[in-house]
Amino acid sequence: MSVLARSVGNAFRNKVRTGAVVAVLAVAIGLALSMLVANQAVAAKVAELNASVGTVLTVNPAGGQGFEGGGEPLTAEQAATAAAVPNVSTVVGTKALRLRNAAEAAAQAGAGTQAGGPGGGQGGPGGQTTTTLTTSLTAAIDAGTLGNRNQAGQETTGSNGTTQPARTMSLPITATGIGAEVDSTGKALTITEGSGLGDYTSESANALLGTTLAEKNGLKVGSTFTINDKTFTVAGLFDAGTTFGNNALYVTLPSAQTLASLPGELSTMIVTVDSMENVDSAKTALQAALGTDKADVTQGQRNLETAVSSLDSVKNISLIAFIAALGTAGLIILLIMVMLVRERRREIGVLKAIGAPNRTIGLQFVLEALVVVAMGSVVGAAVASLASGSIASALISSNSTTTTAAPTGRGVPGGAAGFPGGAGLPQGGPFGGASQLLTTVTASASPGVIAAGIAAVFGVAIIGALVPALLTARIRPIEVLRGE
Amino acid sequence: MIEVKNLVRTFKSGDRTIKPVNDVSFELEQGTLASIVGKSGSGKSTLLSLLGALDKPTSGDVVVNGVSLASMPDGKLTEYRRRDIGFVFQQFNLIPNLSAVDNVMLPMEFAGVRKAARLARAKELLEQVQLDPEKHVRRINRLSGGEQQRVAIARALANEPKLILADEPTGNLDEQTGEHIIELLSSLSRDHNTTILVVTHDRQLANKTDRRFRLQQGGLTEEPARSRVAAASG
Repeated sequence: MSVLARSVGNAFRNKVRTGAVVAVLAVAIGLALSMLVANQAVAAKVAELNASVGTVLTVNPAGGQGFEGGGEPLTAEQAATAAAVPNVSTVVGTKALRLRNAAEAAAQAGAGTQAGGPGGGQGGPGGQTTTTLTTSLTAAIDAGTLGNRNQAGQETTGSNGTTQPARTMSLPITATGIGAEVDSTGKALTITEGSGLGDYTSESANALLGTTLAEKNGLKVGSTFTINDKTFTVAGLFDAGTTFGNNALYVTLPSAQTLASLPGELSTMIVTVDSMENVDSAKTALQAALGTDKADVTQGQRNLETAVSSLDSVKNISLIAFIAALGTAGLIILLIMVMLVRERRREIGVLKAIGAPNRTIGLQFVLEALVVVAMGSVVGAAVASLASGSIASALISSNSTTTTAAPTGRGVPGGAAGFPGGAGLPQGGPFGGASQLLTTVTASASPGVIAAGIAAVFGVAIIGALVPALLTARIRPIEVLRGE
Repeated sequence: MIEVKNLVRTFKSGDRTIKPVNDVSFELEQGTLASIVGKSGSGKSTLLSLLGALDKPTSGDVVVNGVSLASMPDGKLTEYRRRDIGFVFQQFNLIPNLSAVDNVMLPMEFAGVRKAARLARAKELLEQVQLDPEKHVRRINRLSGGEQQRVAIARALANEPKLILADEPTGNLDEQTGEHIIELLSSLSRDHNTTILVVTHDRQLANKTDRRFRLQQGGLTEEPARSRVAAASG
């Protein structure tokens, strides 16, 4: 019988006690692994934000601060100017459209009212005029109390000169023309079905629909719908991660400009800088190149600071909790093994009396501890795979509460991308606010992270088991005669 | 050859100093079968533990084949116990969750004997001590006291030691098995030149040894012993 076989046998000598130790260890290891998974997920998210959104600058027409703003629309020439600025890697123009259900619009016109959008059609991205078009689609979001209140407050007088009473209204659908496969915030689109639009710089009769919008209208990939009587085919479906974001559709930039009959006009420009280090200088250069009276350049990174800071605190908390849980597991091993060594002093004495070297006895106890840890790790990994998502969500949501309590950025309805949403959430700047970012962190127990966590657990367990193993060296063989 | 020189072992018990082994000296030629008799608590087991390097003397020395145990470092003492000593303890001291054959294999494993060789020798030794073959793989805690005693004797013989120290080796055995064990130990000393020192209350066993010592109040005196030939003839 080898040392390993003997260690396995010893681990099961007292099954009840071993079971209890494994259960306690499993909780500690499961917690440690869950924290590691949360930590890795948040770290990945922070890296993703820094890599993608952190280097993004958003250009809006000067004075276009929400629906009350003004200014002149951006142009294709300005996009070319922006692209020539040093350290700018890409410039993506967008053109925002607002769609209303054709039948509903006709009914409202017949009733002599005009359901004005934000600012009576004067609002929209950057405060510039947003073209309202008709569509065969129906909005996927119910207006709700906030949506009705918002729109009722913006109603204008009808042809008879009297103010119409507040009524239930439907929300508009956001349609955005995009020059690349990114959403209106510059983030890559998550296409869940079908494909993208191919060449985003040429006119196309294809469109990408938000999942909820497609579901509401019973559309699938290959289905058709109309905008201003022009037929579009659904090329793909995307998931923006939010109800508001999924009540939207994307067409190519030229298609949107054609629909609006405003060729070359842009609502916003999404400018990507080549690295985080160059963001500040590029922003200054871009502002100078476009002119402060023509365009406002905002830095996505600034808007993200609160969110990233919150994520960083979650990362730190999870790291501390991981270390604490790991330390607890090590302490449990240490105490259990010290107890076992004390309990088996005589047996250790016997082994020494018949010639076992100290290293063999020490190794036997370390292996015995590792057998218990291995069992605890299996159960702990199962616990972590089931609980890590919930634990990470709980950690993140508790932190995002603090974050969203202090909104930053352009926190007025509208901003660069938003129309008044049914949910009434402020679309705080081009990134939709910290809370939205935080909720998109996905913690999944990947085999790599679990393996790394278990390796750390084993490392700590070896340290925890070494102390009692070294204690065995101090036990003298005369212990064998104890009680004789 | 074992030389015991002025061996003293003292213990503190409160204010008192106990001397279970007090200035003990004797020599044993290789291949001698010797016995130590004495009352309970007379220090027999303490003397055995000093000879087997389980304990260190307060003063004095044990010299085995010209090598002093007093000057040996712990690592060498472990090697000495593994290679040169076979213990049979009064309470067997077997590992309870291992089988009989695994217990016998343990000293050989520590000595680096290959698995197949140690398994074969362990079975052979268990047969020598007359343990039923079906009990070879039975866990120790499922064997009777007498069976455990036999396993303990087999374990002591595992590495073919030069010196076997046995504390009441026949104490838990029936008369017939006891006779067999005495015969086995006797043949080991005679045929394999193994020195055997037995602590016993068993007069019959003591009478069959080459030399007989009595330990009384820490002091060792040698009693005249019958020759084995004489003992065997009646």
